[in-house]
Amino acid sequence: MKDIYELLNDIDLDETEFKEMDVTELEKAKVKRTLKKSIRKKKKMKRWQKNVLAASIIFGLSTATIGFSFTASAKSIPLIGDIFSYFSNENLGLPDDIKNNGLYSDYKAYSNKIGFTEESNGLTFTINDAIYDGKTVTITYTIESEEDLGDGSFLIPSPNIKEMKAQGGSDEISKVADKKYVGLLTISDLEDLKEDKVNIDWDINSISINDMDKEIKGNWNFAFSLKATESNEKVINKSVNQHGVKVSVEKLSISPMSFVVDYHQEVSDSVKSKWDEAYVELTIKDDLGNVYDGQENGGSGIDSYNLNFSKTFQKIDPDATQLIATPHVTLRNFTSENHGEVTITEDGEEKVSSFPTKPGIAPKELVLDDIVIDLRK
Amino acid sequence: MKSTDINFIERLQRQEEDALEFIVNTYLPLIKGVTYKVLSPLRNDGVMEECINDIFLSIWNNSKKFHGDTTDFRKWICAIAKFKAIDYYRKAMKKMELTSGYTEVDPEKSAEDELIILEDRKELLQLIDLLEPVDRDIFIMKYFLGLKNEDISIKLGLTKASIDNRIYRGKKKLNQKATNLKLGGSVV
Repeated sequence: MKDIYELLNDIDLDETEFKEMDVTELEKAKVKRTLKKSIRKKKKMKRWQKNVLAASIIFGLSTATIGFSFTASAKSIPLIGDIFSYFSNENLGLPDDIKNNGLYSDYKAYSNKIGFTEESNGLTFTINDAIYDGKTVTITYTIESEEDLGDGSFLIPSPNIKEMKAQGGSDEISKVADKKYVGLLTISDLEDLKEDKVNIDWDINSISINDMDKEIKGNWNFAFSLKATESNEKVINKSVNQHGVKVSVEKLSISPMSFVVDYHQEVSDSVKSKWDEAYVELTIKDDLGNVYDGQENGGSGIDSYNLNFSKTFQKIDPDATQLIATPHVTLRNFTSENHGEVTITEDGEEKVSSFPTKPGIAPKELVLDDIVIDLRK
Repeated sequence: MKSTDINFIERLQRQEEDALEFIVNTYLPLIKGVTYKVLSPLRNDGVMEECINDIFLSIWNNSKKFHGDTTDFRKWICAIAKFKAIDYYRKAMKKMELTSGYTEVDPEKSAEDELIILEDRKELLQLIDLLEPVDRDIFIMKYFLGLKNEDISIKLGLTKASIDNRIYRGKKKLNQKATNLKLGGSVV
């Protein structure tokens, strides 16, 4: 039997019926990005790589260092559109049949237009929008360069926010057109302190281009402040304790464009004796069947077993009455392949040690019972 | 090696990613135009975006089923775009009706439209495949691509009466076959 795609070969549609429409560079880039994600989905990231990533976020090693140089003048930068929405269409880790517009889909409407541009050494750096939800500062930016800088694997120094003593965060940069890149940076306060206003100091003096093994020096300095969006906190304190791992959802902070879940993990001694690390991922859905896209903000704690985390999710469906949080626990042992330790002594000497401590067995994944959060209370 | 307008079809069929980039660069304005024409009444950018992504993904996944040259390719992807967009439109309308809790009385919506909404597309294609080639084309144009009977008659060089007639007989035939396949319940 022929399927519809084969049958459509024989159909001669009247072409005059079709008119081309204007498409921006960002639209093209967004479609390509989404497509590439979908076609590569089968080649899943190996579990342990993901954990290494998580671990580095936990310990704050992943400080983004990006260097920039700028050339074009501010006026010559064409309006690039909504960068939040560009980075939004992730659908990562969601089942295929569930589609949503991603974490950042409602950010643009609530963000502050910044529009600062700095130019130095052939590279123009523009901060487009920024928003602070009381936990995380999210900034979108555009880089335009006179020369080709590869696929967008840059290292840019991260901003300094003096209100945040302990920062975690992420930075994603993507090439959208020839010599043009857009990025989305998040910085979260690892401590549970909500400020009414944060001051951001972003002094960039060098941008490293990883692909090309090169560094562009220059001066791109930005300073601005952001007021926190309104948010509404709910104390939850509900937990589930299974297989020697206790996960507690402590707090929910709901803002107009997102919500942040604070949660805590605790591991029993019997699990500690068998595993070097426990890592909890939280997925959230609601009673209407929506699955929420989220981004981890990092966490902190006394060791790799007992940690406080927070995760930001996209806007809550106003009709939802319940959120259902499911903890996914990965227990893992360090081996010389996936783990190393660097000790820096007071004299600045570095000692590298690698260690297989416990027998190298395959990581174990557990799904704990759902934690149901009533939103009407 | 990069995709050019000479080799992109071959590269697409070999599942080279740069061919996908090439068709997005070349055909996105056209695909957007086709999609917009069908879906603009919904006033929902999210659905449009999703549909466009779906169209390109289908082109990628089914590229081996295409045969012909660049001109044929253009027509083929326009047909896919139109068929997908109509599909999205129907689904979105169905959803809207459900959420708003009332059923629109739409004199335009025929039993066949309902059938397409209800039926799993595969089963329907299985049925359509039983028709003669000419009737099959007519059915696809009418129900998958939303063409009017007049337009189909011009395209196929048949009179409108003959198209009407073939559709009538085709429907009758499909109804029988569907009953035989025990799909009768959902056909009505």
